[in-house]
Amino acid sequence: MQREVGTLPLAPALRARLAAAGFQTAQELLDTGPCGLSKEIGISREEALEALQVVRQECHGDAARTAGGSGATRKCTALELLEEEQTQGFIITFCSALDNILGGGVQLTKITEICGAPGVGKTQLCMQLAVDVQIPECFGGVAGEAVFIDTEGSFMVDRVVDIAAACVQHCHLIAEAQQEEDLRKALETFSLENILSHIYYFRCRDYTELLAQVYLLPEFLSEHSMVRLVVIDGIAFPFRHDFEDLSLRTRLLNGLAQQLIIIANDHKSAVVLTNQMTTRIGQSQSTLVPALGESWGHAATVRLILHWDNSQRLATLYKSPSQKESTIAYHITSHGFRDVQPPAVTHSTEGTELNPRKRPRTEEGKQ
Amino acid sequence: MVVLRAGLCPGLTEDMIQLLRANGIRTVVDFVSSDLEDVAQKCSLSYKALVAVRRVLLAQFSAFPANGADLYEELKSSTAILPTGSPSLDQLLDSGLYTGEVTELMGAPGSGKTQVCLGIAASVSLGLKQHVLFLDSTGGFTASRLYEMLRAQTEDEEEQARQVLGRLRLCFVLQLEALQRIQVVRVFNIYELLRALQELRDRLSQQVVSSVGPLKMVLLDSVSAVIYPLLGGRQSEGLALMMQLSRELKTLAREFSLAVVVTNQVTRDSSTGPLKPALGRAWSFVPSTRVLLESKEATWEKATTQRAASLVKSPRQPTGIQVELDLG
Repeated sequence: MQREVGTLPLAPALRARLAAAGFQTAQELLDTGPCGLSKEIGISREEALEALQVVRQECHGDAARTAGGSGATRKCTALELLEEEQTQGFIITFCSALDNILGGGVQLTKITEICGAPGVGKTQLCMQLAVDVQIPECFGGVAGEAVFIDTEGSFMVDRVVDIAAACVQHCHLIAEAQQEEDLRKALETFSLENILSHIYYFRCRDYTELLAQVYLLPEFLSEHSMVRLVVIDGIAFPFRHDFEDLSLRTRLLNGLAQQLIIIANDHKSAVVLTNQMTTRIGQSQSTLVPALGESWGHAATVRLILHWDNSQRLATLYKSPSQKESTIAYHITSHGFRDVQPPAVTHSTEGTELNPRKRPRTEEGKQ
Repeated sequence: MVVLRAGLCPGLTEDMIQLLRANGIRTVVDFVSSDLEDVAQKCSLSYKALVAVRRVLLAQFSAFPANGADLYEELKSSTAILPTGSPSLDQLLDSGLYTGEVTELMGAPGSGKTQVCLGIAASVSLGLKQHVLFLDSTGGFTASRLYEMLRAQTEDEEEQARQVLGRLRLCFVLQLEALQRIQVVRVFNIYELLRALQELRDRLSQQVVSSVGPLKMVLLDSVSAVIYPLLGGRQSEGLALMMQLSRELKTLAREFSLAVVVTNQVTRDSSTGPLKPALGRAWSFVPSTRVLLESKEATWEKATTQRAASLVKSPRQPTGIQVELDLG
């Protein structure tokens, strides 16, 4: 109960006055009472009452927690966390190589950042994940809903329809092959309309709208408790121009990162961000690095960098707390994100040679 | 700057306080630094009573100098050196992490700070059977990776006795116990962190053995994630909170003989400048030892698990020593 006044979440002006008046611990504040407090530091009674309310909440919150109350602290032993992690699902990406290097797929309760040059497939992956998060549990998914915050305007509904249709088709094939009753029952609710109605789309045009949206997100998520994925497509775009004060930008970005990790943790959902690439000019050569600076690199828990190698798309896992760094190749087909097919299978490689930077527009044969 | 209050010491009554306040003496510092004869005359209080009160206040509020020899004896008996689980890192840190001090690990994203912290937690919990408190502010704590590391460490030790089936079960039990000794608290902003540290202090001072046990290590991953949103702009309260935090960490380390490890980011002055630790000059005085972790490759295109750790600040070793670490 000997909390220092400097550590309590009060307004800085109030804190300065309390320090000048000689108050050191929270206990002294509580002992004085609102009348004494307003007299001693010269604030109104309402302000003193409010301040004491905050102090009481902090201190009695502490006491309740030490006595074993549940409270809001996220405290547990490593063993409990291990059990939680083992039962937690992943959001698969339909590209088994990518799922492997990620350790099963995109993890819930973590922030995953996807960086890449333009046209390499970041928005495609986001749209794929927004569909895949809705796969029912009996097929190995998390059966959740998705929130899609778009800052660049690159969300194409027709493309999502293609991806969703392919996903439903895939699940139908599995259900037919395995002939189990619960699989067929789950498929009744897993239809195209259902998938599209469970993707909540927000459009933010500049950084203030984005910050406001993220601040309002916890309320939205408590109303829609089935949401398991939050995608912010283009976190770099609103922050990369018109910022004279770079320290303000760092401060805002770090505050945003803090908000997002709290959301990911409290609502057990995965947060996926996409970032752009920029050039760092070194002494002898220039390298391509993720944008938004050094300090932003620490915001994401998992970092995936998508890049080109001649005409092949590659994905490198650059930062992960549990997986090794590795690189795999992937493909973007009309059905969405897929593995690279081995060259023996001819019908899938035909379409890609025409224009390797775009998904093939010609109709491919059934896979 | 403690305000004079009734009951602060015997002999200090409410009337006395009112009289003193009427003459402009509000805090302990004012009282102790004023001329008592003068005060006795102005407030019509007895000189003897005032001297007695001053003696008690001085005993309560001043810091007493300690003998160098006594200090040395005390440190010898209370300081422990905790091995980090990686022999090359121990060599860099002069045989391990010293309790009573704050050690800092810094590095760019993906350089391995969280991995090294997990390794330290695993080694202290498994090898020394001590409790560990892990304060996670980035969401990077992955229990399955910790379990992997514990498995790797127990398998090293039990290599010889693998044939006996009972030993395998013993490994498993050891790993479970080690996991139970590591407590994880997720703190995502500075006030939650300060609250968690206050709770820790309360528990340690009341010596409640059940939940904490013989706690020897506190890991904070990472300190810059909670402080960065407060710095910058034109507000200076961020610095004040950062200093409050540093004071909490250092006094906890010293009073309860804990080894405190924090991780920090690195930043650049401009896009081409050299890397320097984040949080500025004010924070650079807080840790007594600083280790920089770097990846051996310059770009992210070549993946590797090798890292280079160099000593940037140390009270015991010459700086500039470099060792290689394998994150495994």
